[in-house]
Amino acid sequence: MSDARTLTLDSTPNLTVLFARAAATSIGRGGPLQDVQVRYPRTWIHLPRLAAYDKVCGFALRDTLPAPYLHVLVFPLQATLMADRRFPLGMPGLVHVRNRIVQHRPVDAGEPLTLRSSARALRPHEKGAQIDLVGEVRVGDELVWEGVSTYLSRGASVPGETAPAQHVAVDLGPDAPANAVWDVPGDMGRRYAAVSGDVDPMHLSSLAARAFGFPGALVQGMWTKAHALAAIEARLPEAYVVDVDFSEPLLLPSNANFFAAQQDHGWDFAVRPADGDGDHLRGTVRAL
Amino acid sequence: MAGNTSSPRSAVVVGGNRIPFARASGSYIHASNQDMLTAALDGLVARFGLSGQGVGEVAAGAVVKHSRDFNLTRESVLGSRLAPTTPAYDVQQACGTGLEAAILVANKIALGQIDCGIAGGVDSASDAPIAVSDSLREKLLAANRAKTPLDRVKALSGLRLRHLVPQIPRNSEPRTGLLMGEHQAITTAEWQISRTAQDELAAASHHNLAAAYDRGFFDDLVTPYLRVTRDQNLRPDTSMEKLARLKPVFGKGEGATMTAGNSTPLTDGASVVLLGSQQWADERGLPALARFVDAQTAAVDYVNGGEGLLMAPAYAVVPLLARHGLSLQDFDFYEIHEAFASTVLVTLAAWESEKFCVERLGVDAPLGSIDRSKVNVNGSSLAAGHPFGATGGRIVASLAKQLSQKGSGRGLISICAAGGQGVVAILEAI
Repeated sequence: MSDARTLTLDSTPNLTVLFARAAATSIGRGGPLQDVQVRYPRTWIHLPRLAAYDKVCGFALRDTLPAPYLHVLVFPLQATLMADRRFPLGMPGLVHVRNRIVQHRPVDAGEPLTLRSSARALRPHEKGAQIDLVGEVRVGDELVWEGVSTYLSRGASVPGETAPAQHVAVDLGPDAPANAVWDVPGDMGRRYAAVSGDVDPMHLSSLAARAFGFPGALVQGMWTKAHALAAIEARLPEAYVVDVDFSEPLLLPSNANFFAAQQDHGWDFAVRPADGDGDHLRGTVRAL
Repeated sequence: MAGNTSSPRSAVVVGGNRIPFARASGSYIHASNQDMLTAALDGLVARFGLSGQGVGEVAAGAVVKHSRDFNLTRESVLGSRLAPTTPAYDVQQACGTGLEAAILVANKIALGQIDCGIAGGVDSASDAPIAVSDSLREKLLAANRAKTPLDRVKALSGLRLRHLVPQIPRNSEPRTGLLMGEHQAITTAEWQISRTAQDELAAASHHNLAAAYDRGFFDDLVTPYLRVTRDQNLRPDTSMEKLARLKPVFGKGEGATMTAGNSTPLTDGASVVLLGSQQWADERGLPALARFVDAQTAAVDYVNGGEGLLMAPAYAVVPLLARHGLSLQDFDFYEIHEAFASTVLVTLAAWESEKFCVERLGVDAPLGSIDRSKVNVNGSSLAAGHPFGATGGRIVASLAKQLSQKGSGRGLISICAAGGQGVVAILEAI
């Protein structure tokens, strides 16, 4: 049952349509955050799509889902929220700056899932405004997965005090050599878009990316996160929190260095430019 | 040749794990060899509590593999829950791969070089590598070596459309150009194996495998993968009537007897076996299902020597039996890989033939007949399917469990392989 505050989906929405609608209705967004949630009960995993995602991100094809794959399932719900006129920020140009996933237990590809997404914590930021899109996945009543995607809308202004920025801190040891060198090809944004549905134009073409102020097309942060997790896939705990922040965009094509160091209850990792300073991504994994 | 009694210890089979075998282009169409081998390893790790632990080594292989998979087994180990400090290497002896891997691991355990190890194999007929023609490959390599753009253009000149036609791997012998089934059709005709006998064996394979599943025999040998819970090729309700309706696919004219029903289909799958010293198993409270006693390989000259491509196991058992003072009848179970129904039947006929045994095997008398009710009691490749590298692991684990359930006796494994090779082994109850 849907009321005005709960949008219930019975099929995966077409993201290209949502992106277009969100773009067409982006002017004049604002106002307070309203209590709207999107729900998608009885979702099943489509194995060929999972296999394609695994291949692009570097996961082995297993019966359990990579934790970031559930983000891919929840993402269309987020986009539905963002395309809704009540959503206070314009979707074009929204930048994914942080992503935190909790895997309460491995999720089997054969389990029926109920997905849910809502928005919270609209807040001012030194460069604009930030908002959290939260997702949850349940098997029956059991909460198996949670995700929080923090987006930045540059230039947007919302009332309130600007809180100091919080970043993910990693301890990778001084001058540690890279664990791996990534050769990220120019079409990686399009390849990830094909398996995830994240067809934001700034990942697909450098022309579109320039319109948003980037020097060229950049890969989706969630690909970078997934590829990093795939690198330590076999060593991940059964239940864990993986928290990453995305700083410098990973422009395509790129060479990047991957760093990972085992910690007491998990891993710290980072993806850095092969020939420059800064971080594309910093992340931590902690066992629950 | 030294008897195995001189070994300081022998390896025991602790257990096994495989994923259900799927028909080619079926449920594992998106799974690579590495995906499937990793899944089989992780299932074994879960079953025996090996997560985060190492074993002495992992030996496994695939018969058909991509060139990028040069380190397939080690890469699979790194993607598995085994400790990343576990050494691994690839083995390839065609359909003998899995059993040969078990022999290598068992021998190292017997020699005291390792205390435990994992042997296995995998094959995908769905995710097969496709190669470019030699002409295209040579031109591309020359272009790669070229130092100037002009040289590069020169290297690529003469490239024709026909050079771009990819080459899909074929199940054929490089030196004869014949498919394995075509080779076996010659042998089948030579030994006058009837269509009825082949179909009977095929039906029995399906019925035995189905019965084994129904009584839970595979509950601790098979882990479901990608929603497949049983071997996809299994037809529990097949019958002589149904099999008789199939048209021959190998052989020519009236004498053609080999059909898709009494030949193994192309299959995807992976299997692994955990071996260890008795002490290693005892210390961990793990079972020891059977002792890996000894093994033997042989090869025949199927190219110019007039022997059938798949006859080598018939030869290999002779020195193996002699080493242990055993006769062919001294076994409680026989696992004869069903590459084709006729492979099993020809092998049995050859052992019964005085002419073959005396003239070819060089023994004084025929090895004799065996009790057919002891052959492939839990079904074999005709029903389960035959992902080339995975068959050895499937058989070793199943036979070890069968011996463990009986509590006494011994079993003989016989596997024929491309290139005219054969791998045979003896397992015995503990």
